[in-house]
Amino acid sequence: MTVLSISDLNVRFATEAGAFHALKDVAFDVPERTIVGIVGESGSGKSTLINAILGLLADNGRVDSGSILFEGQELTALDPVAMRALRGPRISCVFQDPMGALNPVLSVGRQMRNIQYRDESPNAQKDARSAEMLEAVRIPNPGTALARYPHEFSGGMKQRIAIAMALMMRPGLLIADEPTTALDATLEVVTLELLKDLQEQIGCSVLFISHHLGVIAELCDEVAVMYAGEVVERGATSEVFRDPRHDYTARLLECDPANQRRRTRRLPTMNDEPGSFVPQPVPPAPDRAVGEKPLLEVRDAQVTFRVGTLFRRESIVGVGGVSFDLYPGETIGLVGESGSGKTTLARAAARLQAISGGSISFEGKSVHELSAGAMHLLRRDVSMMFQDPVGSLSPRMTVGDLVAEPFRIHRVGDVDVKAETMRLLSLVGLGPDFADRFPHQLSGGQARRVGVARAIALNPKLIIADEPTAGLDVSIQGEVLNLLNDLRERLGLAMIFITHNLHVVRHVADRIAVMYRGRFVEIGETDEIFAAPEHDYTKTLLSANLAGPGRQP
Amino acid sequence: MLAYVVKRLGLSVVIVSVAMALLFCMIYLVPGDPASVALGPRASEAMKEALRVRMGLDQPVWVQFWNFYSSAWRGDFGVEVLSERPVIDVVLEQLPYTLALIAGGITWSVGLGIPLGCWAAVKRGSLADRLVGVLSVAVIAIPSFVVAIYALLIFSVSLRWLPAIGAGEPGDLGDQLVHLILPSLAVGLGWVGYIARMVRASMLEVLETSHIRTARAFGLPEPMITYRYALTIAILPTVTLLGVGVGQMLSSAVFAEIVFARPGIGRLVYDAILTRNFPVVSGAVLVTTIFFVLVNLIADLVIGALDPRVRSSF
Repeated sequence: MTVLSISDLNVRFATEAGAFHALKDVAFDVPERTIVGIVGESGSGKSTLINAILGLLADNGRVDSGSILFEGQELTALDPVAMRALRGPRISCVFQDPMGALNPVLSVGRQMRNIQYRDESPNAQKDARSAEMLEAVRIPNPGTALARYPHEFSGGMKQRIAIAMALMMRPGLLIADEPTTALDATLEVVTLELLKDLQEQIGCSVLFISHHLGVIAELCDEVAVMYAGEVVERGATSEVFRDPRHDYTARLLECDPANQRRRTRRLPTMNDEPGSFVPQPVPPAPDRAVGEKPLLEVRDAQVTFRVGTLFRRESIVGVGGVSFDLYPGETIGLVGESGSGKTTLARAAARLQAISGGSISFEGKSVHELSAGAMHLLRRDVSMMFQDPVGSLSPRMTVGDLVAEPFRIHRVGDVDVKAETMRLLSLVGLGPDFADRFPHQLSGGQARRVGVARAIALNPKLIIADEPTAGLDVSIQGEVLNLLNDLRERLGLAMIFITHNLHVVRHVADRIAVMYRGRFVEIGETDEIFAAPEHDYTKTLLSANLAGPGRQP
Repeated sequence: MLAYVVKRLGLSVVIVSVAMALLFCMIYLVPGDPASVALGPRASEAMKEALRVRMGLDQPVWVQFWNFYSSAWRGDFGVEVLSERPVIDVVLEQLPYTLALIAGGITWSVGLGIPLGCWAAVKRGSLADRLVGVLSVAVIAIPSFVVAIYALLIFSVSLRWLPAIGAGEPGDLGDQLVHLILPSLAVGLGWVGYIARMVRASMLEVLETSHIRTARAFGLPEPMITYRYALTIAILPTVTLLGVGVGQMLSSAVFAEIVFARPGIGRLVYDAILTRNFPVVSGAVLVTTIFFVLVNLIADLVIGALDPRVRSSF
């Protein structure tokens, strides 16, 4: 039996620039007790599809034609009241953002009780049911957890609570919109297993939306690939991934960095003809000349945070004593989960964070003992790239101003700033017409390129890149990594590359340091770490990073 | 929680003592001799000199400062020059009237501002929304004494619905409340606009968040989402705003009390400044400062009560 059957669905949005055709003849089925995946990048219409199913389209959106048949009911013909009666008990939803998915001012128990508002049963019985659901998603002490508030739980727990809430009314269909994207790799695996267990237990179907091909391959029985508002391909997951018929699917599969098992200097992009890609082996690192001085020397660096109120002071160890050298032109990957201290360490290296012990020196000078003037000079040599590509650009400045800003801050007057801006833009692959645009007019990948241009503007010797590809579509990730690889080769840059994604770092880093609870548990050549991880934590991390669907020849 | 309150009270003591120092400077610098004003033009030089000595005005500045400071901490502002009553008694006698006026102003501003702002946000883009927007700006722009005078003219003089002057019969709560309606409207009307705008803006922000989308996806009824899920978060900035707003209401209270001939601190200070009755000025200012600091402490505690995230940081 089919739970959800969508055929020829067309959705249009009325905008100031005319009607926008967001979904074009979308058709697919979700059979009973199956998990169907939807793959698509930003702008492919995934969110519109979810909202259309839930009857929560924005006011300017309209289902033009086609049908959404759910358990025999035509959803497009339902009035809002009848639609609301279905939401919750029959169709439910888990969204991406675990931090924001729960109401911050209501206790977990109160929110779960509210979901059962249709029941006539007494509150004690509702609470018992809520506790039962929390237990099912493995929240410790479910009874007391009900009285607690969302901010008292970790991100992974919050997402599990959201799943518990969504499944509490035992719906026939669960829509999961990127439910694990914001979670660390190890948590992602746990959450996916849990979701699968609960799905089997309740016997519902799941519509699982993700851009992560590895997750889809792991979890879904069937998959539909969306591109620009259309379903370009659908079928059994194994077949689609093994033998994609549509060109877009083939390109998408190939350009997923996770699908390149061998290290390569250049990753395939969406422009590459499927099947034509040949990995470019990474040249072996040149032997260090005897006596060559490292660019950055980190010796037993420690960072402690003082937290708490006036009366209860505690210190938390951010970085608990790590040492490494970074030579000119070398890239080190800092890998670890959130809270492992990788960002703190990088910030300490750029003196954006005070150290509480040890030393960090750049070209032989102790970074944390420099005078303000010397530090200002050092900022030219060490530049940072932050995680959020759009958010790290001032929304009031044009791209041209943003790229020229480093010259102004450092009062570099002896260059033609305008010409330099154009040179940098072309270096990162943006045309001169981008100079007049504002950040909100850029895509994530373009904004990232602007960030790269800013970072290399003053010819730094070291770039600290904090999750530079997180949040970017798979098809863009490869491009950005290629750009970084290209630039660091051409400009001889050293780089600290922070990421939680092992598949990404593999193609960029010469060496990898695995961080866990503020310490390096393992550091070594990239190939060695992948081939023979020594530490248990590295092994866990490697197995948790779900590989691509694997279209090995 | 207790530690937080203790810390805040300690901070309040610092704020109050700084305010007192500023107050002393201001009084000292105001031109005019309190003794000659108090005794009138026909007083002899000897009488003025005697009063100055009694008031301690013949002492050097730092002695005057110390006398002022040390006695102020004990709540002793000396004796009111004319009636010979302790200043603090005079001030505390007037305090309830002003407190009632401020409470009335808050009632008006919250009672109208929150529903209007919430309504405008839910009906975003509609005629109602635009109307609320325009009216908010209008009432913010009108000074409170203009509101006071027009309210008096319309409702008391022309329509004769409400009493024009006084605070009502002592002991008759109903009569006192009726006398409070117009003055508190004058104090609170501008704040209706501020609060409506603020609630509307933060409501719109909250309604966009993903937990509201999640609540909709669970099929919760729309009124529950609006009032229980969104509004409880959207009013948090309003509470802070009101804490600060009480300070401004205190200054509008001066006009309201004069226009409606009500007793109260504002009127007391006004009269005291005209007669250079400085002990009364300092007593009244100190009491209002303490009141203002306490109101802000309460505002922060209220936010803690409404928001568990803040509560856990206490």
